[in-house]
Amino acid sequence: MTTTRRPDSPAADAARLPGRSLLRIGPVSLLIRRRAVLVAAVLTVLLLLAVVLSLSLGTPYVAPADVLRALSGAGTPYDLVVFDLRLPRVVLAAVAGAAFGVAGTLIQSVARNPLASPDVIGITQGAGLAATVALTTGMAAALVAPTALVGGLLAAVLLFALGARHGLAAQRFVLAGVAVAFGFRALTEVVMLTADPIDGLRAQIWLIGTLAGKGWTEAAWIAGTLLVLLPVLAWAGWALNSTALDDDTARGVGLRPVARRIGLAGTGVLVAAMVTAQVGAVDFVALVAPQVARRLVRAERPPLVCAALLGALLLVLADLAGRRLFAPTQLPAGVLTAAIGGPYLIFLLLRGRRRSS
Amino acid sequence: MLSTRDLVAGYDERTVLDGLDLDLPTDAFTVIVGPNACGKSTLLRTMARLLTPRRGTVLLDGTAIRDLPTREVARRLGVLPQSPLVPEGVTVADLVGRGRQPYQRWWRQWSAEDGAAVDQAMALADVTDLADRPVDSLSGGQRQRVWIAMTLAQDTDALLLDEPTTFLDLAHQVEVLDLLHRLRSERGRTVVAVLHDLNQAARYADHLVAMRAGAVVAAGPPREILTADLVRDVFGLACVVVPCPVTGAPLVVPAYTGGNAPAPAPAPAAAAAPAAAAASGGAVASPGGDGGPGDASAAAGEPTSSTASVPDARPATGDAANPLAGSYPSKGL
Repeated sequence: MTTTRRPDSPAADAARLPGRSLLRIGPVSLLIRRRAVLVAAVLTVLLLLAVVLSLSLGTPYVAPADVLRALSGAGTPYDLVVFDLRLPRVVLAAVAGAAFGVAGTLIQSVARNPLASPDVIGITQGAGLAATVALTTGMAAALVAPTALVGGLLAAVLLFALGARHGLAAQRFVLAGVAVAFGFRALTEVVMLTADPIDGLRAQIWLIGTLAGKGWTEAAWIAGTLLVLLPVLAWAGWALNSTALDDDTARGVGLRPVARRIGLAGTGVLVAAMVTAQVGAVDFVALVAPQVARRLVRAERPPLVCAALLGALLLVLADLAGRRLFAPTQLPAGVLTAAIGGPYLIFLLLRGRRRSS
Repeated sequence: MLSTRDLVAGYDERTVLDGLDLDLPTDAFTVIVGPNACGKSTLLRTMARLLTPRRGTVLLDGTAIRDLPTREVARRLGVLPQSPLVPEGVTVADLVGRGRQPYQRWWRQWSAEDGAAVDQAMALADVTDLADRPVDSLSGGQRQRVWIAMTLAQDTDALLLDEPTTFLDLAHQVEVLDLLHRLRSERGRTVVAVLHDLNQAARYADHLVAMRAGAVVAAGPPREILTADLVRDVFGLACVVVPCPVTGAPLVVPAYTGGNAPAPAPAPAAAAAPAAAAASGGAVASPGGDGGPGDASAAAGEPTSSTASVPDARPATGDAANPLAGSYPSKGL
């Protein structure tokens, strides 16, 4: 052979794959992109800064030093503002943003389309219809989120039923999703138009997505879902590596592409339905976070962990901007995610085109 | 190694293979040939368990392939589909590394063996220098070698390839076929490929399988079975079969059916020519090249056009005295 075999250290062998290192923890060996580690570290720092900033800004203003002192449990006069008023909402923003990032990554990988997100495949509309019905029929406030979850899952079931015939192939998956989305949106509008205008407005705000008045309960539901799905997500992070292979090639190397798509898409829509049910349609994060994270990591597919961290960062910033930009008027986070993420995505697209041409 | 028993397979309503029994020899380079839509790709896909048969079995070392876990099959049988989708932005080393999938789990994503197998596969397919390049930036010939390297990284005893030379220029076709030959002769792999070019099939195959309409017409060493009669039977094409001036393998030259008129040179001169023609392979190949475009147009459109038009065209232009018109002795090479 022309190549000289390196000493049999696993790290040296993994180095054959450009930009990867092997992380060994007991019997577990994970292939990690070095750049992803760097990006994740930077994103984590930025996220922490954004959280502190978000806890600090507002009326009353709490100096970042006081925020840190309060968080360390030293007992300050700001404990009430930091812990009870701001922290729940900031944590919810971070957790929901991360969930959107995860859902977007999974859905985009199955759809093989960087524009796919929970609202393209109808999950958001399913949750939206259920929430609208709940809000306009005067259901108890505590029941709105569970109802919306049921709606989102119903949309998911419909999506899988429509997409199943062709093994959930990318094209079919997106088309089925678009059909589901339009169906549910039409129904939502019917419900909205026939409802009392005040209820209709409340539904409208829910549909845009806001974190106002939400906190620990919603965050716990989302975090709990992610936690329960953690083993599946660990598998997904690995399975995503081979979603770029076509079905024949995938079968050739011993994969079961249809089962893998069902697993990935199922996990994605579950997370999407849960998070949408809790905070509404702030789903622009799910569209942008995976793609921006992918470009930051310079990988050929969205990286799961970085997309989650970026999603968290985006939503914390969006919620902060929504609270402060036109204070005392509060804008829903859903408006701001689009305002922040949209231009950045356009910027990246333009830059990418220039580089490739 | 690989055999089929009473295999029935097809797509949607169309049955392509109907009760096929076939045994492929171990440690041989088997080439499957046949006209378009004869079922050769379907056969390969079914043997590689990419397509589930409606009836019958594919046996891998005597075990029904459908009873084996797909990961285990992937450790014994590598397959290169006809035109695999090139993933965007994936590097060569990365793609070759996907061939190690059957040995990996999400909690055991890489091992020393994986690294060694990838190294070796890239060296064998001569893509080591391309390791860091994105696959979508490579030329067709390089890409094909990368795909082959990926299947080699699977470290399987057998390799199935569906038209691995399609869309490659002649030099790259030869390069790929040489690689497959080396795999067989130096590594003792069983190689099975579907090829379009009869002359390449005859040159490289240890075992030739000729198919027509979903059935095997003949199977055996090319020098024994490849005759003008077989080509007429299988492809409906009148031809002359002469020994290849380079390898002595049967060389299929389509009979004169139209196009540029044969050179006025008398028959004896043509018969005496082979030694001289050996020096210029191009001159010998050019009549075969006439068949090439016809073959390609058939591939693009109606699969029956070549079978229908050729026999019709022959009497119209043919001349009983012209040795190129098909009466040339071509049997018993």
